[in-house]
Amino acid sequence: MTPVLTVRNLRKTFTLHTIDGRTVVSLDGVNLDVAAGEHVAIAGPNGAGKSSMLRCIHRTYLPDSGSIVLHRADGPVELTELPDRAMAGLRGRDICYVSQFLEAPPRAGALEVVAEAARRRGLAADVAREAAAASLRRLGLEEALWDVDCGVLSGGERQRINLAAGTVRPPRLLLLDEPVSALDPENRERALNLVQSLTTEGVAVLAVFHDLEAIRRLATRVLRLDGGQITAEGTADEVLGASPEGGSPEAASLEGASFEAVGVTS
Amino acid sequence: MTAQLAEPAPSVRDLVRAADGAVGILDEGAKREIRRAILAAVCVPGYQVPFGSREMPVARGWGSGGLQVTLGVIGPADVLKIIDQGDDGGVNATNLRRIVSGVVGCETATDTRQATVIQTRHRIPEEDLGQQHVLVFQVPVAEPLRGVQKSVAECVRMHAEADYSAIWVSLYEDIVRNGFITTSTGYPVLVGGRYVMATSPVPRWDVPRLDQAAHLNLYGAGRERRIYAIPPHTTVEPLTFDDVPFEVEHVPGARCDYCGSDDSFLVDAPGGRYVCSDSDWCSRSVAGQVDAQAHRERAPLAWLPDPAKRATADGYTTAPATDATAGLTAATGVAVTAGVSETDGAGAAISAGVTAPAAATAVAAGAVGAAGAAARGPVSPEGWLLKVDRLGKVFGEGGAAAIAGTGPEHGTAVSPSTGAIVAAWDVSLDVAPGEALGLIGESGSGKSTVLNCLIGDERATAGSVRLAAIDGGETDLLALTSQQRRKLRIDTMSIVYQDPAAGLDMRVSAGGNIAERLTAAGWRSYHAIRRRAAELLDRVEVPLSRMDDPVATFSGGMRQRVQIAKALATGAPLLLLDEPTTGLDASVAAGVLDLLRGLLRERNVAAVVVSHDFAVIEALTDRSAVMQLGRVVESGLTDQLFHDPHHPYTQRLVAAARR
Repeated sequence: MTPVLTVRNLRKTFTLHTIDGRTVVSLDGVNLDVAAGEHVAIAGPNGAGKSSMLRCIHRTYLPDSGSIVLHRADGPVELTELPDRAMAGLRGRDICYVSQFLEAPPRAGALEVVAEAARRRGLAADVAREAAAASLRRLGLEEALWDVDCGVLSGGERQRINLAAGTVRPPRLLLLDEPVSALDPENRERALNLVQSLTTEGVAVLAVFHDLEAIRRLATRVLRLDGGQITAEGTADEVLGASPEGGSPEAASLEGASFEAVGVTS
Repeated sequence: MTAQLAEPAPSVRDLVRAADGAVGILDEGAKREIRRAILAAVCVPGYQVPFGSREMPVARGWGSGGLQVTLGVIGPADVLKIIDQGDDGGVNATNLRRIVSGVVGCETATDTRQATVIQTRHRIPEEDLGQQHVLVFQVPVAEPLRGVQKSVAECVRMHAEADYSAIWVSLYEDIVRNGFITTSTGYPVLVGGRYVMATSPVPRWDVPRLDQAAHLNLYGAGRERRIYAIPPHTTVEPLTFDDVPFEVEHVPGARCDYCGSDDSFLVDAPGGRYVCSDSDWCSRSVAGQVDAQAHRERAPLAWLPDPAKRATADGYTTAPATDATAGLTAATGVAVTAGVSETDGAGAAISAGVTAPAAATAVAAGAVGAAGAAARGPVSPEGWLLKVDRLGKVFGEGGAAAIAGTGPEHGTAVSPSTGAIVAAWDVSLDVAPGEALGLIGESGSGKSTVLNCLIGDERATAGSVRLAAIDGGETDLLALTSQQRRKLRIDTMSIVYQDPAAGLDMRVSAGGNIAERLTAAGWRSYHAIRRRAAELLDRVEVPLSRMDDPVATFSGGMRQRVQIAKALATGAPLLLLDEPTTGLDASVAAGVLDLLRGLLRERNVAAVVVSHDFAVIEALTDRSAVMQLGRVVESGLTDQLFHDPHHPYTQRLVAAARR
């Protein structure tokens, strides 16, 4: 398998100067690898550091220490040492980050947001708009909403716009943070199909889902993150326990609270 | 007493003779100074040489300057002719003639052919002038820039730098308002390809006679204390746009009521008649003592008004958003496409940049977007267009010695040793084409000072500023002269100020403000300037129906849009934005912000955005630096600064920005 992302010893703390300089540890020595065509899911309770990890890779957070290597066609790149401008250049091109909440420019419409993402990938303006339209259609966003200010759309609509922008062209590495949390079953199905097909096409996916069914369906490998450390790694069944269909009814009923059993360190 | 009473009352002439006749009006020292000024003026054609204008026995404004020049150059062997409005018999002309001939003892003549020194107001004689003639002009207003610039010092600077865009704008505005240039007397000309000069105050009819003339022209302005000259065989070009021809005054079908001439300069006479302004010419013409054929060849008949060649109505102001605009939008779209497809080859193509009129012509031929987006600005090998190293600005005493004890760690920008304000210190940053860098911080943190040092409004105390567009980044801009810095602002770096009045001339129309930047960059086609201005205004969403209205009549948001259009006019590769939306109310600010976001996206400019508002920085920039008390306390990707601020000050700033 072609490696795409190698993370070693990643550590991230926050120093809150506004609250008497308190320090909060978010990631405490995380190692992980994602290869092309792999879908690695990160599971864990709230506050375990799942989103922080994605954000550190994307440099929305600045990690304290450790190594994040992105393997590109022309060789590995140590992201922690990459100048800001070069990192900005990788974003939206090699690395696409779909956050839980849409962070679109104010007053921009869906088509504009997604087309802009396509243009960052080097598409000409008209081609970018076509690609954006196709992407929005694939995720079932009504055409009547395409030029409406994203800020007034529903959470589910915004989430689909966000996903469309992140996947308008397959990136090398796709970081997904709860991309379907606000979607109805039909749209959730569309979104999961899209992610699945991208993985099949060879995109390396690192994802955070609270939805265990989604993890079971999409993940080729699952990591459990707890207290900023990886506490388990394996297949979905190995890490999450057997699926409700194949396993015991107890497992299904416990699923929602399964992380409590592992224990949250605070 | 009684003996004096017995004498007859002396005439004015007697008094003049008694007072000045023996020694002359000017002593030899005064004449020498005037001749020195005249020599300097002849050596630098069109340049206004200051001189110590004396009190004359005529009031200032009645030919005192001309009189001094005449007295400076004339000798007893000369033959003097003095005309006023072309007429030898005017009261003023007659008296001046008496004074000079009485003082100098020279002959006088009305026949131009016999004269050697001709003092004139308002006309060049119709007769052929040759190398034997010295033509002395009485000048009421010497400064051709006076109408566009009240400051004498600023006019001097403009001449020194050949910075004549303001006068081009006045011509542009004249055509916009009237369809042609209405300036009659004192038409501005370019002398010897260098200085703009007022042909004060001859009619346009006489202006072509100055070009490559065989005689010497001397201009004396007594009130303004200036002497200037056009030596023989000097190029004199009336300022005109390439596509709007220079015109002379002409009434179709008019002929002189006395001599019947239709090719000499005519003036109104009672009863709807016309007569020659040159009385000598007219009377000799009646007597058959002129070479009419040669005169006709001298006459400026090639410049008679031709409505077909005048500026065509472009319909921008009457029919907004018609075909012209539609075509434009399409063109912009295409250009954007071209620009974006290039963005991936970072640093590959290093084009010549948009610098010269040659490039301007190319831009004029193309579309708006093409100018900004397709012209890929030059970059350094490291990829930057602008690089700032350890920039510092200290207001007050001490320079670098004042730094100790200031900055965030000391909680003050005031130097404890010298009391100087350390407005910015040790600020380093770089920006690449297609990238926007934010400078954020509270009021007084030094961000605007940094921008002012970059554009050249302030002189930095320390550090260096380099542009890849200038010498491949070898030259420190801070080492350039003010003049060189100003030249950079024509088409290399643009700034949008918080206050539109700082970047615009409020009395001038929206189109004229854009024309200012374009003419400075060498644009000389009126229609191309109109087209470009319309494209830019359309892009910034200013209705084209307002294109010809003075900016002072615009709302704040519209003014800011015009300022942005002006900043983009020449496709400068570096754009500086100083609180571009701060002075506007929320909904208008949002519109301007959206506009800027679109413009930065579609153009390949490097931008530095200064704002205290995180929303503005977030919407416009990729990377940012946070300033506090004159220092950069933190820098990084803009979203990282917002989501993961490290410095206590940034954390407070972010917390304050959350609403």
